[in-house]
Amino acid sequence: MRGLRLHLIVGVTAVFAATASIGFAQERARPRSPAPAGAKLTFVDLQNNARIASKTTIRFAVSGMEIAPAGTVRRNAGHHHLLIDTELPPLGQPIPSDFNHLHFGGGQSEAEILLSPGRHTLQLLFADHDHVPHDPPVISEKIIVEVMAAPEEKPRTAAAPNAKVFFPGLQDGAVIPPRSLVRFGQENIAIAPAGTRQDNAGHHHLLVDTELPPLDREIPSDFNHLHFGRGQTETELTLPPGEHTLQLLFADHEHVPHDPPVMSQKIRVRVQAASVTAPAAAAPPPARAASGRTPAPNDASVYFIYPRDGTRIFATSTIRFGLRNMGVAPAGVVRPNTGHHHLLVDVATPPLDVAIPSDLNHIHLGNGQTERKITLPPGEHTLQLILGDDQHVPHDPPIMSERITIYVGAPAKRRPRR
Amino acid sequence: MTIGTRLPASRHHAKAATLLLLLAALAPTAAPVFAQTSPRQPAPRNAIVYFHYPLDGLRVPERFTVRIGLKEMGVAPAGIDKPGTGHHHLLIDTDPGPPDQPIPSDYNNIHLGNGQTEVVVTLPKGTHTLQLLLGDHTHTPHQPPVMSQKITVYVR
Repeated sequence: MRGLRLHLIVGVTAVFAATASIGFAQERARPRSPAPAGAKLTFVDLQNNARIASKTTIRFAVSGMEIAPAGTVRRNAGHHHLLIDTELPPLGQPIPSDFNHLHFGGGQSEAEILLSPGRHTLQLLFADHDHVPHDPPVISEKIIVEVMAAPEEKPRTAAAPNAKVFFPGLQDGAVIPPRSLVRFGQENIAIAPAGTRQDNAGHHHLLVDTELPPLDREIPSDFNHLHFGRGQTETELTLPPGEHTLQLLFADHEHVPHDPPVMSQKIRVRVQAASVTAPAAAAPPPARAASGRTPAPNDASVYFIYPRDGTRIFATSTIRFGLRNMGVAPAGVVRPNTGHHHLLVDVATPPLDVAIPSDLNHIHLGNGQTERKITLPPGEHTLQLILGDDQHVPHDPPIMSERITIYVGAPAKRRPRR
Repeated sequence: MTIGTRLPASRHHAKAATLLLLLAALAPTAAPVFAQTSPRQPAPRNAIVYFHYPLDGLRVPERFTVRIGLKEMGVAPAGIDKPGTGHHHLLIDTDPGPPDQPIPSDYNNIHLGNGQTEVVVTLPKGTHTLQLLLGDHTHTPHQPPVMSQKITVYVR
């Protein structure tokens, strides 16, 4: 399915490219920044004709020039662009920004890309603050990579032997309305959002009318395999009348089931036509979610404005929080769709059904602050944000960020990326 | 939260009307204070409100998210009287009014009354100014006012 989607995207962008090039022809040529003669762009650890996985981290190196974020005017500096399956764009114009021309305007020197199975071309092109290639252009050689068809086998995360997931209050053979709330329970294993690596933790997946997928690779994402990557413990499921099967499968930060796999029994449910159960189903939504926690909008999210994952920061730095589709309110204030921030330093995600602990590792921003200056010892640290309601209890679904890793102090050796 | 600002397109009228309704609901709490100009809430001297995005002089698309940072103070929804907190107001193409009066509610003065720290705005093409101003539980600026610089953005 991914392959198909990428082909579609390539098709659409080809059309865009055609129209864009007409536009470019009319636009005046931009002044190009000069580049030193010896400047060179290369891929790191990636040869021509290499066979790679469909999801791969590509690293770039530049010699003879420096990296500067887009918008920063500096001599002999610029930022990377990765051209995928495309020819060089016109050199007197800003490089287009689309799925075939990836910009790394933050000064990144690596990127994780997703390619469909088959052969692809990759090429690097350096450009200045205005995204215009230098004069002479600083280009890498164009390499061909082959993406293998099967998804890559992934290492599996260990789970406690007694960990289990189940459907609270929903038995095998139950009769349910077409639109019903399905809740997920878990025992002896913690919930962590997708992307956050933590021992004996993961997030729910609901398998609808399907067999178990292979357990040594990512669970597919489609209408039969529903992901709850933000740590949700319930969902409103709409099913056509008739017999259906439901099964829960827990998986780790990369959506790969644990070892041993943590899954529920496959249960059969019968969905009854709407008219019979309609009055019951039309009950007003409860003020608090079924879990007893304060409900939060489904599209709300909390994120780090600063720092970004994997970056190096000063020992004393201001951590800045962003919140999308919700508001901030001090602790103790009961207002729908609001909460206050908690900054978690070097700790695992706490249990989500009780108040967030208050100690040196769990910093409460109870006055509604949206940033916090902290001092950390040198070394590697993790940061995570969780929104809490008036009682410091996470919302349902929990509004929490990925757990990011940051480094304090002098650069150490590059750690293997996980 | 999405706000259509000063746009001719008719589909934005519905949104704008909802906004006005919302603001009208808030007005009664503000009115008595307006009449007697009650003492303004003190703000720490080093409190700063600032733009994470966009920055001064930036070219932005017609629809973009304004992200707001606040230093040395906290955010609280309108109506919550708590020292050292306030809620954000985004001033578009306008100057702040007298600091002892509640911030007006109109298309140019966008109230983020639920404690939001970002807002999606849609602006017509051209040059616009943006400024942030913190208001207390009655929408009145603090003493001294916690206000950002007025920045200019170019909507393309």
